Amino acid sequence: MEGLVNIFVRSVFIDNMVFAYFLGMCSYLAVSKTVSTANGLGIAVIFVLGITVPVNYLIENYFLSAGAMAWLGPGFEAVDLSFLSFIMFIAVIASMVQLVEMTVEKFAPALYSSLGIFLPLIAVNCAILGGSLFMQEREYANIAEAASFGLGSGVGFYLAIVGIAAIREKIRYSNVPGPLRGLGITFIVTGLMGIAFMSFMGIKL
Amino acid sequence: MKLLRKQIDKIKPHFQKGGRFEMLHSTFDAFETFLFVPDKVTSKGAHIRDSIDMKRTMAVVVAAMVPTLLFGMWNVGHQHFIATGIDAGFWQEFMHGLIRVMPIVVVSYVSGLAVEFIFAQIRGHEVNEGFLVTGMLIPLIVPVDVPLWMVAVATVFAVIIGKEVFGGTGMNILNPALTARAFLFFAYPTYMSGDFVWISGLLKGEGIVDGFSGATPLANASLGNIEAIPSSMAMFIGTIPGSIGETSTVAILIGALILWFTGVGSVKIMASVFVGGLVMGGILNIFAVNPFMEIPAWEHLIMGGFAFGAVYMATDPVTATQTERGKYIYGFLVGFLAILIRVLNPAYPEGMMLAILFMNVFAPLIDHNVMQANIKRRLKRAAAGTNK
Repeated sequence: MEGLVNIFVRSVFIDNMVFAYFLGMCSYLAVSKTVSTANGLGIAVIFVLGITVPVNYLIENYFLSAGAMAWLGPGFEAVDLSFLSFIMFIAVIASMVQLVEMTVEKFAPALYSSLGIFLPLIAVNCAILGGSLFMQEREYANIAEAASFGLGSGVGFYLAIVGIAAIREKIRYSNVPGPLRGLGITFIVTGLMGIAFMSFMGIKL
Repeated sequence: MKLLRKQIDKIKPHFQKGGRFEMLHSTFDAFETFLFVPDKVTSKGAHIRDSIDMKRTMAVVVAAMVPTLLFGMWNVGHQHFIATGIDAGFWQEFMHGLIRVMPIVVVSYVSGLAVEFIFAQIRGHEVNEGFLVTGMLIPLIVPVDVPLWMVAVATVFAVIIGKEVFGGTGMNILNPALTARAFLFFAYPTYMSGDFVWISGLLKGEGIVDGFSGATPLANASLGNIEAIPSSMAMFIGTIPGSIGETSTVAILIGALILWFTGVGSVKIMASVFVGGLVMGGILNIFAVNPFMEIPAWEHLIMGGFAFGAVYMATDPVTATQTERGKYIYGFLVGFLAILIRVLNPAYPEGMMLAILFMNVFAPLIDHNVMQANIKRRLKRAAAGTNK
């Protein structure tokens, strides 16, 4: 249990997807104009990451990695399908995003229209695929650890995107120099937020 | 006084529209309003007849920092003469500190104000007064042996990236002084941490007494040298190694009282920072597994830059939360995180700087949520009222 909490806290604050790895930048920059839409996208990302990472964990450990299919019988021990991992991960992510999209369209049409193209684009959000690939690389011991990592990464992304959305709402009326307006100042704010998030780097859990 | 006014009125036309030095009008304006309260009044709408404008507010904060500056100067000399083993009188110690600290203050003000004036000229707005406070804060939170060019580089970075790109005073997200400190900390770590930077002359090794350690109380605590930590009284008064202005809790409390009675600094934030620190310290005491975690919670409040950050940095009205309820949440989390980072993160000996920066980033989000909650509550009340 303690290990799960550690992984969760680690992936929210220390290995934050946005500020430690700078993944998922496109939707982070594009959908952070207002807090309410950022909120919606953040929750969608938490959901997608929280589902796809454990599902991909199962696929990885029972089908793809070398010798993973030994449970099927003695003839399958030598099978190594790890070259398929990218395509399998993306397939899972895409189907999950499809599900989220249909849910949002049905139950929150206002949010659906404000998220626009960025909702289906979660499928190619690097933070999501990054989550699955980190899961593969870090070799979590069981599915609970993978799920806790996925949820934690999602929450980390959520914090980042609502944080910058609130800042962008605040600086909307600031007298920012012309050339920096819009994306320029957002990049600078992101860098400054990265400095603030460095406060957690180095904590050993 | 009258003579000065006359002189200013005489040269004023040159700086106004159509004058010879029209392009320098913002520079002129800055000096004029610095010397005299501006006599501009609005012609319609609400009138607030009060001379407390931004310049005077900032001057109050600077005044509140004077006790820590004076004490810091004396302490710099005091520590220096302890380290070198020379017996020195009060004035000798103070003069040594004055000679060491003044250049840092001057460099910080000159480089920062230069950037401010350049930006004001280019962008055609008035010179922002906010730097009066920032320029004073930066010398107080650096180690005394920091090279002057580093102070200049960090100040310029903080003023440009931390403030001017957002449009100047009142628009910034992070506290500029802390941005400068964080810049120094991450760019030149060897000059900002360790046992040798806190006492003047130690880096060059000028005749140090054998066995003298310049480690700060926090550095000793994180290494587990509990017996090397000075007594609580020494830490409260401030005769310990540390950044120039942060050592003396007494001097900081005097500043806190000034800020409180003039209403310039938010006492809500100060109080909740201390409460947050106490709570986190208490939690760590309960689950203590090493000597650092066993340090009494209240002792954390007088170590390192905690008190300084709580009084002068966390209360920055621009980067803190604006809503009244948000101030409690913000302050509490600053104190809570500062102790958490300080004790649990071996990478940083002190957590106050990063805790405040972290909460600066999330202050707008806290404000947003407080306001949304308020809107929801009032809508509910309104709905209940109409249904009657």
